[in-house]
Amino acid sequence: MEEMKDTYIQEANELLENLESSLLSLEDNPNDNSNIEQVFRVMHTLKGNSSMFGLTKIAEFVHDLETIYDKIRQGEMNLSKEILNTTLASFDHLNRIIHDSELQDPKNIENHQELIKKIHTFIQKESTATNANVTSATTMENNALRTVQVIFQPNEDLFLDGTNPLFLIADLTSLGKNCVIPHFKRVQTLDEYNPTFCITYWEVYLETKVPKEEIMDVFVFVEGNAKIEMNEFPYVNLISNREFITTVNSVIFKDALIDKVILTEQIEKVGEKVSSVTPNAKGVIVQDADAAVRIESKEKVVSSIRVASDKLDELMNLVSELVTTQASLTLYNEKNETPELEIISENIEKLSRRLRDIAFGMTLVPINNMFSRFQRLVRDMSETLGKEIQFVTEGGETELDKSIIETLTDPLMHIIRNSLDHGLEKPEDRMFLGKPRKGTVKLKAFYSGISVYIQIIDDGKGIDVEAVRNKAISKGFLKEEDVLSDKEIFDFIFFPGFSTAAVVTDISGRGVGMDVVKRNITDLKGSIVVESAVNVGTTLTIKLPLSLSIIDGLLVEIEKVNYIIPLSVVNKCYEVNNADMLHNFNKLLVLEEKQVPYINIRKEFGYQDLVEDEKSQLIVVSDGDHEVGICVDYIVGEYQAVVKPIGKYYKNQDFISGATILGDGSIALVMDTHKIVELYTEHVKMEVR
Amino acid sequence: MKTDVTNENNLGETKSFLSFRLGEEHFTIPVMKIMEILEVPKITKVPQSPNFLVGVINLRGAVLPVIDTRIKFGMTQMEYTINTCILVLSVEVNDETLVVGALVDSVSEVFELNESKIKPSPSIATKYRADYIAGMIQEDDHFMMVLNIDKVFSSMDLESMAESKEVKVEENK
Repeated sequence: MEEMKDTYIQEANELLENLESSLLSLEDNPNDNSNIEQVFRVMHTLKGNSSMFGLTKIAEFVHDLETIYDKIRQGEMNLSKEILNTTLASFDHLNRIIHDSELQDPKNIENHQELIKKIHTFIQKESTATNANVTSATTMENNALRTVQVIFQPNEDLFLDGTNPLFLIADLTSLGKNCVIPHFKRVQTLDEYNPTFCITYWEVYLETKVPKEEIMDVFVFVEGNAKIEMNEFPYVNLISNREFITTVNSVIFKDALIDKVILTEQIEKVGEKVSSVTPNAKGVIVQDADAAVRIESKEKVVSSIRVASDKLDELMNLVSELVTTQASLTLYNEKNETPELEIISENIEKLSRRLRDIAFGMTLVPINNMFSRFQRLVRDMSETLGKEIQFVTEGGETELDKSIIETLTDPLMHIIRNSLDHGLEKPEDRMFLGKPRKGTVKLKAFYSGISVYIQIIDDGKGIDVEAVRNKAISKGFLKEEDVLSDKEIFDFIFFPGFSTAAVVTDISGRGVGMDVVKRNITDLKGSIVVESAVNVGTTLTIKLPLSLSIIDGLLVEIEKVNYIIPLSVVNKCYEVNNADMLHNFNKLLVLEEKQVPYINIRKEFGYQDLVEDEKSQLIVVSDGDHEVGICVDYIVGEYQAVVKPIGKYYKNQDFISGATILGDGSIALVMDTHKIVELYTEHVKMEVR
Repeated sequence: MKTDVTNENNLGETKSFLSFRLGEEHFTIPVMKIMEILEVPKITKVPQSPNFLVGVINLRGAVLPVIDTRIKFGMTQMEYTINTCILVLSVEVNDETLVVGALVDSVSEVFELNESKIKPSPSIATKYRADYIAGMIQEDDHFMMVLNIDKVFSSMDLESMAESKEVKVEENK
């Protein structure tokens, strides 16, 4: 049961995510019917799921919520700002109570009741309003066979917007057995006759099962331009009755409807009263609606299926094993040169490469999933902050590893908050500066090479380099006389305890966070850069590796052990004499007229020290903004490495970020050069002490 | 070694065990914990790691850490012979299943035994930590130790072992 509940929560989460994005786009286009339908459908599925799992409280709650949207969908209610706000609040509430389905948290109970109350006021208010509109006093079920009298009185200028009322009448008559009686408003003389005026109105008797709403749907485009009245009579077989037809036809072409009393009398006299089977009939219809929803979800199932991520991991493992095996096969084939084998080997190579690409593609998720979450954040914040904000996303189809997206959400959330709170100005200030009232925050994602870039661009007041510089000096991060580039100065923003905001708000400004943001991104092997100009805006650029599990690396050898250095950090390789490094007091090598610090990795890894008379390869890697040389025995070549974790046993050896399996089945260890530099600096500090 | 199941005293369940040798000592663990037995492939040592962590091997595409069981038990380091092999074990540590390789001198046999035959280990005069040993099995005139491998190979323990390694070796002398 627990497992089922997990499935439920997982599904509910997805539905809610879906719901949120639909609600937000609904807010932008309140008249978009497809969005309303979408909201309704998601709620409906959620309700079904909840009651399936016996979570009646949630089911009832969603049911009430759904009722509102059902009414909106039927055009009985208008979507108002209050309804949207309540729905969003309900959405938040649902997010909480799917984990607390019995409402054990008193806070949830309170919230629950308050929201239900609000929802009910909406439903009641609107339904009394609609009742007043509809003249029909008959309280009969919509969906049984009965006779409906529709009186369609178009305004005189109906023709002006190109409507042909006869088409509407034709639509109406297609709904069932019918009888149409045209009326003229007044008899006109030729000289006052205007052919562009519609002076006809119609009275239609319809024997049908179609619900009232659907009948109304016929007039959906002329509602504002005509008076439509609908009366339902729980009688059948009127229209085939001669006496009835004669009675109603007596007023044909006259500017008068048949007297209600006469009509009712006549109906009661000749009609056959519908037996009270209505509740049943309703049941059938409801089921139909359910079926429709079900068919739709079935269609969705075909387009995407849920796979446990450990299964995917397993698949990846198998694929990378296949790639490795295939590498051995190629190796064997090169030695033996059997033509038949060569063809097979080449085919397998092609297949395994494709398989690898597809398998790796599967863990990728479009970044859009994350973007839509921010839409809500921006909306809520713009209200609290009293700023007008336009949130633009670009490149939502860019795909990233799901695990990266998850780790990235919080940092991005923080950055966007900062942009909204500190970056963008109040509307009046913006006007004063000659900028558009509405501030723009843009979230942009794109590929470049083997990296993914995510940019957060705002057109706010920007960051003052001098202010950051002064702050850095006052905090003691920087000396007065130090000369730094703008980029380096902006980097201080990511220092712990650094904040240039004069006022600390509850949203941001405490200087906690940006350092965490930087750390999170560095953990993903990414980097973050700030560019800013005062009064123009700020751009934060996050660069991430395309996939964590596969990297391009430089395969090197140290003490007969293979290591991989990620190619993304490798700048250049040099050959150096060991003697130059062994007898070097400053631990600096001059390469192309630049001084480069170097790390004797043999010492750091506890291997035997360098041999005096031999040469080493120095790999110059970039660590943040600096360059550091790492000396290795040999360079083997470039290697595409599938990086695998080496497990918990080695958590103290974090300078090795993983391992990869080479073509001959042996293992190469993947270095984390950043951590190696850290390790080295710590050693140096210890020695100094 | 008796492999038949005696009918007398059938209180406990009959389970399969695998016995292996470390130096002159015999140990045994439930077969259920063993995923497979491998010959020793090329092992890649991770720099700066504790002594008993021999390194990592390629287990059909996955990276498997390997532990030198002899060092773990305070014996001298493993000398590789034709009989040396790796037991791939699945270890439960804090509700998590870890897969780890254990280097042993040789694997002896698989046998079935009624659990009731396992005797509690004598609390004194054992040179191994008491919680590593689940019990003893007496065979003719020699004893065999049933290991509690979840304890022996738990990674938390590995850390403490790493710190107290020198002390332990001295104790064992």
